[in-house]
Amino acid sequence: MLKQYLEVVLYKTYADLRAENQRSYMGFLWWIFEPIMYMSVFYVVFALALQNNDENFVPFLLVGLTIWQWMKSCLTHGSESILNNSQLMQHVYLPKAVFPTISIFTNSVKFLFIFLLLMLYLWSEGFVPTQHYFALPLVLLVELLFIVSVTYLMAAIVPFIPDVRFILENFLQAVFFMSGIFFTVEKIPERYQDWFYLNPMANLIEAFRDILMYQQWPDFSSLAIISVLSLLVMGIAMYLLRRFEYVYPKISI
Amino acid sequence: MNNSKPLITLDHVGVYYRRRNGLFGGDKFWALKDVSLELYPGETLGIVGHNGAGKSTLMKVLAGIIKADRGIIHNQGYRASLLALQLGFIHYLSGRENAILSGILIGLSKKEVEAKLDDIIAFAELEEFIDQPIITYSSGMIARLGFSVALYADPDIILIDEVLGVGDAAFNKKSTTMMREKIKNNKTVVFVSHNADIVADICDRVVWVEHGKSKMAGDTDVVLKAYHDSLQSAANTPAVQPDTTV
Repeated sequence: MLKQYLEVVLYKTYADLRAENQRSYMGFLWWIFEPIMYMSVFYVVFALALQNNDENFVPFLLVGLTIWQWMKSCLTHGSESILNNSQLMQHVYLPKAVFPTISIFTNSVKFLFIFLLLMLYLWSEGFVPTQHYFALPLVLLVELLFIVSVTYLMAAIVPFIPDVRFILENFLQAVFFMSGIFFTVEKIPERYQDWFYLNPMANLIEAFRDILMYQQWPDFSSLAIISVLSLLVMGIAMYLLRRFEYVYPKISI
Repeated sequence: MNNSKPLITLDHVGVYYRRRNGLFGGDKFWALKDVSLELYPGETLGIVGHNGAGKSTLMKVLAGIIKADRGIIHNQGYRASLLALQLGFIHYLSGRENAILSGILIGLSKKEVEAKLDDIIAFAELEEFIDQPIITYSSGMIARLGFSVALYADPDIILIDEVLGVGDAAFNKKSTTMMREKIKNNKTVVFVSHNADIVADICDRVVWVEHGKSKMAGDTDVVLKAYHDSLQSAANTPAVQPDTTV
């Protein structure tokens, strides 16, 4: 049974990615151009217009944006996934966790691609791989765990209260500005710095920068805390998904 | 036939939907109140009843999509699937990819779909177009592909809601014939319809569902006659006629 659902996830991921590529003239190239265009906006605003002359600001910014976008794309698409597949689940039984999983897979494939480009860029800028790269799989895994847990939780709730999507959108916007994507933690007053680190994304982005740019080990204790909290959230999300497994097909919006 | 054990048994099953009313409000609406039925191996069971009698909800219960809120469902582990046409089709993908996707969603493994793919394509008469995106297909071609996948999915128990055949006149005849053959071929089928003639033609037994309750079950001609009589008497007293669009 599990094998069958895995096949559903894998083939649907392939199908969705392929459909997305077929839908435009440049297809697959948009996987590259879209993030580049998106990041250029930030480059123009912060590096050029606001005259941020910090050393290595551009790589700093790009790492932050890439890591952030991974989480954001998975969460925004994944949170709507059960709601959007209400037609499909009227016709066939599928475990509802399948739908956010597909969203996470498709967006993670695109992320991995961009992440690879990011590393090429960093290497060309002289940020060469060091032994600290051994921690990279771990940090990727912790962020994935975090993404899965919050995405499952939102996907479980949104079908009951679709309005949550609008709150989530604005909440994400707010957290975006608080995750240290275009500023370092030193730029905020010291008494607020502890608050800054309550944001899992701020910690994750910093962990990636430690490895990719600063040639140091990430803060393993904060990664451990994020993992434990994510597992807790995941437990709640899985409970909800199971509890309402047969209720979702009965919700009519 | 009825001396074998039933594949699926419903015992006083009820299912409610919650009609939403604000954020936390909402009241229960029992779409099924009290339905009991048995489905035996190899038989074709017809389900008749007015619009809104709960037939579609009953099919979802049989397919395992929703659970009973009261009563008991016994299923010995058989895979019952709705005949789902064009399930999960994506316009931008080719006919081949859509056939695989749809087959996997219906419950086949990728290997199983691929093994049946040639037959599926041949039955849909789409050999020349199968690697084109289906957005270039006519609606008739898409209908043919959708039907063909569903036909070859071949679950233990087929649940058919009204549609026996699809497409233009020629393919409709071909698909209906194929479906009837399958039904006669000792396949276990549940068939929902308004059309008493088709029910009389293909069903071994019939369950009559009315207002969420199984009112009568038995031999096709007996139940259909009672159903007809009630339609007539309802027509004679329009004031109490239930909501129908038949």
